[in-house]
Parts: sequence; structure tokens; C-alpha cells
Amino acid sequence: MDLVLRAIAEPRRREILRLLQSTELSSGDIAAHFVDVTRPAISQHLKVLAEAGLVTLRKEGTRRLYQARPEGLAEVRSFLEGFWDAQLQLLKRAAEAEERRTKERDAKRN
Amino acid sequence: MTLNATEALEREIRIAARPETVFAFFTDPVKLVRWKGIKATLDPRPGGIYRVDINGRDVARGEYLEITPYSRVVFTWGWEGEGSPLPPGASTVEISLIAEGEGTVVRLRHLGLPDDQRGVHAEGWDHFLPRLIASAEGRDPGPDPQAMQHGHTPS
Repeated sequence: MDLVLRAIAEPRRREILRLLQSTELSSGDIAAHFVDVTRPAISQHLKVLAEAGLVTLRKEGTRRLYQARPEGLAEVRSFLEGFWDAQLQLLKRAAEAEERRTKERDAKRN
Repeated sequence: MTLNATEALEREIRIAARPETVFAFFTDPVKLVRWKGIKATLDPRPGGIYRVDINGRDVARGEYLEITPYSRVVFTWGWEGEGSPLPPGASTVEISLIAEGEGTVVRLRHLGLPDDQRGVHAEGWDHFLPRLIASAEGRDPGPDPQAMQHGHTPS
């Protein structure tokens, strides 16, 4: 999760993922899309994305082709599931405490 | 963002409290902040505001779409702020309360979340997710949203 979050936290890496969504590209192709990013920087971004499982690499002769791996982002979704689980646990605790108080009040009244 | 039922996130929990007790935790601001956020402005009727200040910085906001006492609450949900990946109104939360014995089954459906591709397209995940993690764990996400990128992200 940490790797994925850090990978998509960088705007250029999100831009690279966008480029790789529908097509396979080499790091040179990707660099051509950016006017202000050096090739070594692109390679570094691709490395981070690959380590996070967000892109895959395929070798074709001497070319190294990258493509987005959308399953990588499934983790983000599972994180959101965890978020709601945590929230619902807090709700459970608060509602059950309230229910106990209500019952005690009713018991005293009767 | 469009609503797509196939993308709905669904969760369910059993609570040892009656539906009328649980229901109030979605409509009464005093009770809502016992489990979510520090300050809530709620106007529980269709079109009424749902606004929860989570920690003094991050604000969840939406509007109630449907209120059926003790059984169903539907509201839109998102985060205020520039560049929010999930702006107010972008997603919808449906809460269903089903009586079961002395307790309640709470079903939550969160619709209209960014799917994988839109997750990539959405700006601000970097800001949103680490802070959401912190909020969900009841911690103050702190003043610097960027700090989490370089540190440990709780899982």
C-alpha cells in the first residue's frame, strides 16, 4: 500500500500511468511526452511504478516496453474498504454505548 | 464521475443496538461526532446539508438524498477543498438498517467511487489517502500532507 501511494503521489508518475493506460511505450516514447523531464528521471519514475506493481515491463529485442497494470490500484480500493470498516467499528462502539445508557435509564424508570 | 452500481463498495456490520438507536448516529450531529469527526452540521431531510469536519482541516460534505426513519439514510459524500479527488457530491453513501433480534445489521454501500482508471486520473490521491488513513484511525493527520509520502504509511 505504501509503495502504491507513494508511486501515485507524484504528478508525473500519474501522467506516465495515463500514457501507459491504453498502449505500450518505451521509456524514450514516454520521455518524448515531457518537455521538462530528463530521461534518467523518467527511468527512475518507471522503476518506482514497477516496484509498486503499477506497470509491467516487456522486452522486445533491445526495446523495453512498459504498460500500466490497473490491478495495482485495486489496493487503493481495498484501502477504502478498510477505511469504512474502521468507521463502522467506531459507529458500533458509539451506538452500543448509547443503547446501554438508554436501557439503564429505562430500567431505573421502571 | 458517474455512478456505476458495479463499482459499489459494500460493507456490513452487526451492532448490538436497536435500529432507532443506530439511526440517530447518522442524523443527530451530537451523536455523529461520537464516531466521526469533531464537528457536524446536519440537516437530515432530502436536499439538506451533511457536513462533517473530520479533524479541523479535512471536511467531508454532501447532501442528504433520502431519509426513512430507522431503516435508510442516503447522502452524497466527498471532500471539500481544491483538487479533492472526490469532491462533494461525487459519490453516494447508502446506509440500510435492518432489525435483527435486539440488534441491527448495518449495510453500507458507497457508490460512485473512482474506479481504477479514474483513480489514476484523479489529482490529489497523495493528499487524500494518507490523511484519510490518519482520520480513520482517529489521529490528527498533521499539518503537512506531503510528509506521509516519505514516511511510513499505516496499513
